[in-house]
Amino acid sequence: MNTIFALATGIMFAMGVYQLLRRDLIKSAMGFYILFTAINLLLLAVGAFDGVVPAYVDSGGVPAETTSDPLVQALILTAIVISFGTYALLLGMIAVTSRRFQTVDSDRVDNLKR
Amino acid sequence: MDEPLLLIFLAAPFAASIIVGWFGWTQARADRLTTPALGWTLAAVMGGMFALGLAFLPGITAGETHTLSLEWMPQIGLTFLLYLDGLGLLFVLLVTGIGTGIMAYAGYYLEPGRQPPNFLGLMLAFSGAMLGLVLAGNVITLFIAWELTSVTSYLLIGFKGKDPEARRGANMALFITASGGLALLVGLLMMGAAAGTHDLPAMLSSGDLLREHPYYTAIATLIMIGCFTKSAQFPFHFWLPNAMTAPTPASAFLHSATMVKAGVYLLARFYPVLGDTPLWESGLITFGLATMGVGAVLALRQRDLKGSLAYSTISQLGALVALIGLPNSEGLKAAFVGILAHALYKAALFLIVGAVDHSTGTRDLTKLGGLRAVMPGFAIATGIAALSMVGAPPLLNFVGKEYMFDAYYHIENYAALAVVWVSAALGGTMALIIFWDVFIGGAVKPEVWTADSRHDDHGGHDDHGGHHFHAPHPLMVFAPGALVGLSILLGLGAGLLSPFASSAVGQSVTLYLIPPEITLVFWLSMAAIATAVGVFLIRQPVRRLLDAIPLPSGPAAFRALIGSAETAGADRSNSLLERAADALLTTQGGKIRYYLVVIFLGVLAVLMLPPGVLFNIDMQLPSQALDLTGTDLLKLTLLGLALAATLASILFPPHLLATLLLGVAGYAIGGIFLLEPAPDVALVQFLVETLATVLLVLILARTPARERREAIALARKQGRPGMVRDIVVSVMIGGAVTVFALAATGSRPTPDPIAAWHLENTYREVGATDVVAAIVTDFRAMDTLVEITVFALAALGVLTMITRPGRSKFIMRRQSAELTQELEAVREEAAAFEDSEAAPIYRSAFSNPVTRVSAALVTPIALLIAVGHILYGGVAPGDGFTAGVIGGLAVALTYIIFGYEETRRRLKWLHPAPLIGVGLLVALINAGLPLLAGREFLAHTSIAGIDFANIKFASSTVFEFAIFLTVFAGVSTIMEAIAHPMEVESI
Repeated sequence: MNTIFALATGIMFAMGVYQLLRRDLIKSAMGFYILFTAINLLLLAVGAFDGVVPAYVDSGGVPAETTSDPLVQALILTAIVISFGTYALLLGMIAVTSRRFQTVDSDRVDNLKR
Repeated sequence: MDEPLLLIFLAAPFAASIIVGWFGWTQARADRLTTPALGWTLAAVMGGMFALGLAFLPGITAGETHTLSLEWMPQIGLTFLLYLDGLGLLFVLLVTGIGTGIMAYAGYYLEPGRQPPNFLGLMLAFSGAMLGLVLAGNVITLFIAWELTSVTSYLLIGFKGKDPEARRGANMALFITASGGLALLVGLLMMGAAAGTHDLPAMLSSGDLLREHPYYTAIATLIMIGCFTKSAQFPFHFWLPNAMTAPTPASAFLHSATMVKAGVYLLARFYPVLGDTPLWESGLITFGLATMGVGAVLALRQRDLKGSLAYSTISQLGALVALIGLPNSEGLKAAFVGILAHALYKAALFLIVGAVDHSTGTRDLTKLGGLRAVMPGFAIATGIAALSMVGAPPLLNFVGKEYMFDAYYHIENYAALAVVWVSAALGGTMALIIFWDVFIGGAVKPEVWTADSRHDDHGGHDDHGGHHFHAPHPLMVFAPGALVGLSILLGLGAGLLSPFASSAVGQSVTLYLIPPEITLVFWLSMAAIATAVGVFLIRQPVRRLLDAIPLPSGPAAFRALIGSAETAGADRSNSLLERAADALLTTQGGKIRYYLVVIFLGVLAVLMLPPGVLFNIDMQLPSQALDLTGTDLLKLTLLGLALAATLASILFPPHLLATLLLGVAGYAIGGIFLLEPAPDVALVQFLVETLATVLLVLILARTPARERREAIALARKQGRPGMVRDIVVSVMIGGAVTVFALAATGSRPTPDPIAAWHLENTYREVGATDVVAAIVTDFRAMDTLVEITVFALAALGVLTMITRPGRSKFIMRRQSAELTQELEAVREEAAAFEDSEAAPIYRSAFSNPVTRVSAALVTPIALLIAVGHILYGGVAPGDGFTAGVIGGLAVALTYIIFGYEETRRRLKWLHPAPLIGVGLLVALINAGLPLLAGREFLAHTSIAGIDFANIKFASSTVFEFAIFLTVFAGVSTIMEAIAHPMEVESI
């Protein structure tokens, strides 16, 4: 299963990079979103152990025998929200770009050139 | 022993600079000052420091040194160290003494208004920097002060910034001195590394170590380059004449008496550790003498008085540098007298030229004459200064010149002696020309002055239409008079300077006015005076001869190599540097995706090139790849779905379709989380995925359909080579990530101590049963705190970007016309938007009774659910994040159904941007409260519990609430920004 997850992460990452390299800024932002997902998958895959029950303890404080790894879950949880914030910022930038340059084609936003 | 008084030399000028600068800030404040009074006040400040310097003199001559050490960055062994010895004191007295005269003079020179406080503030800042330079006891402090003098000099040269000549001169000076500064920095750091210390006192005693060190050649060369640029040595000399665009008091102070001597100071300072080697000797003597000769000749070619003084300063600086190169203390002794003598007569001459310029409106030698009749005091002062420059007894420079000849005679370097002798004689000629042709010979020619309009040192005269002679203020002659008076006194009392000279030179030396025995050197000195007079008598043919010689122009070479001050327009020169920059710019396509490709390939190269991190990872591939136990078919299916949907989102061009497909992929990933099992994560994933999809759809709606259609058409037209390139890059990156993931999953420690620790301690430490929630709000609470801050900033960033375009006052002022045009365009667009196909989404296209009722109910219900998630965060799936996103989704729905205006009416209580602040504040206060009880930041505190409902109130509950507030407010902010229809109205 780990091998499959690792491969899936790689494929997801490759797709994200490809989409990121589009001229169309909206597609580019989607590429970012795919990368976020790929990273979350990776985090899940490197969890310390596979479990069969959620990471909860009973009121005696005793964990079940085979819980899932709680640490990576906490990391993914925060990563998801951060990703969303970043994504919103990117999309906001596209909205501004579209208004100011009348285009979403990144090649025509060439103010970096002198 | 620490000497706190040393700090006054730094504190007084900088403090005065700030105070004076404050007055110069506005016209109204500047009007409260009387310029001469300001000048005299600052002269008193300088004079006070001069007196303080004199108070140190007896101790210093007795061999004491003073230090002041303040902790600066003890972690890296840096102290702020001030150090005063004989050499330092010479320069301290020079800066403060000359400064006193300059300040008094400037009060009469400058026209009232905002200029005097601004100009004098800069002069004071320079004084502080220069004093810092000569008092620095640490090479780092020294370098900072060195650069500060360059910067203040730049500002003073370009003080009349409206004049393109001034801008060009300032840029040229800064470019050359700052480039030299870089060389100096490297030299100083290498020196520090070689000596094992950055403190000067310790460094000065490690001379033998340094001279033997393998770095020596590099150190000496770099430091020489730094000093040569600063002290205007050939071939870097040409910046100094171009720096004469500075107001004359600055020229007299910086570009004759003090700053240009910084290089001389540093060379003398390092003579004990770097000097007395073949490299040092040949370098200093060669360049010094070349400078001396070139300066003396070029001075005679000048018609502008300031220009000829600048070249004669260059000549004198060359003489000083060469003297420091000599391998015996005779050179240093001559340099000591030379520094002092030159500062006195040259500063006086500059001030006199400034007064002439001030009174007649011209500095052109050919237009002046007979001024003795109208400026008698200045005529006398000029006469004395000229005599000093010629080297006539009993003036101080007579002593200096004789020692200079003696130093070369002593080591039997007759070739060098010849150069020095000729240059010195020509310098004398220059002095006689200034005295005679301006003050004695010829007649007063006011009609020529009025024709001259270049008088711009003080704006008041420009409006007169012509210039009428006005006599200088009687007290204006004070400064040059005092300086030449000192020339006489110190010359007569040269013997008294011996102890001071000994302490500055570091060896016992004796000075005489009248040498104990008349040697050949004395006759050489006399012959130089006679030659000066002789050449003066035939000055017309000599100058014609000199004018006929074609010489390469330094500024022209500079323009060809580096360029002018202007970077655009007609004045932009096609210099080598600018052409190189243009050539380099062709590699900058300005296309973001190409930069990205380069970055990705760069990362890959770093991973693959030796040592080849990527290949050295222990992957344990074979055994793992075959191990498919635990493969969950349902998970596999969802994974396949996620990959397929993502691929489809790439392959299908329409944006909306791609958006929805991405949503599918996101839900599939959420399903995988659910199967993990990770219910908390799955919940947030589902919610955020929904929110992200809604957000993207809203953005699509904002983007005019034309733009989107164009983008899609472009993607279709994008060539095959580009696509192949992108695929290759992506596959390579994907491969690298796969390798990393395999290594990471293959190296999991079993049993894992970290996860197990969290499982065991969750209930015991924080009383929660949801381990993930415990990690988020307690074990790794600091991460979460930072994370919600980042999220809040992102949300505010979206709001600022979208709702406040181009509000910056700076932009408004600079390109108001352009901006107005742009705003006009945006307004038109906004008007057109109202009629476009995208607009209905804001006009509640989805609005029908059913949706309206549900939307009206959704916010309260969502908030109720949110409260539940907060209260049960520690024991059940869902937490502050979940609650925040649920609330945010409700707000998003309200915006979609009711449109911007009505939503603002309905959710009047919701002010999302301030609410973000409230959320963060609650989080911070909650995190800080344990500190009051002497516990750690963010420590877990149990508050109360409601048993029957299984609710436990603790600090983590408050934290969950703060997370909820921040996330909810952040999402609402983003939604408000995106839904904001008329973003330019407010301007």
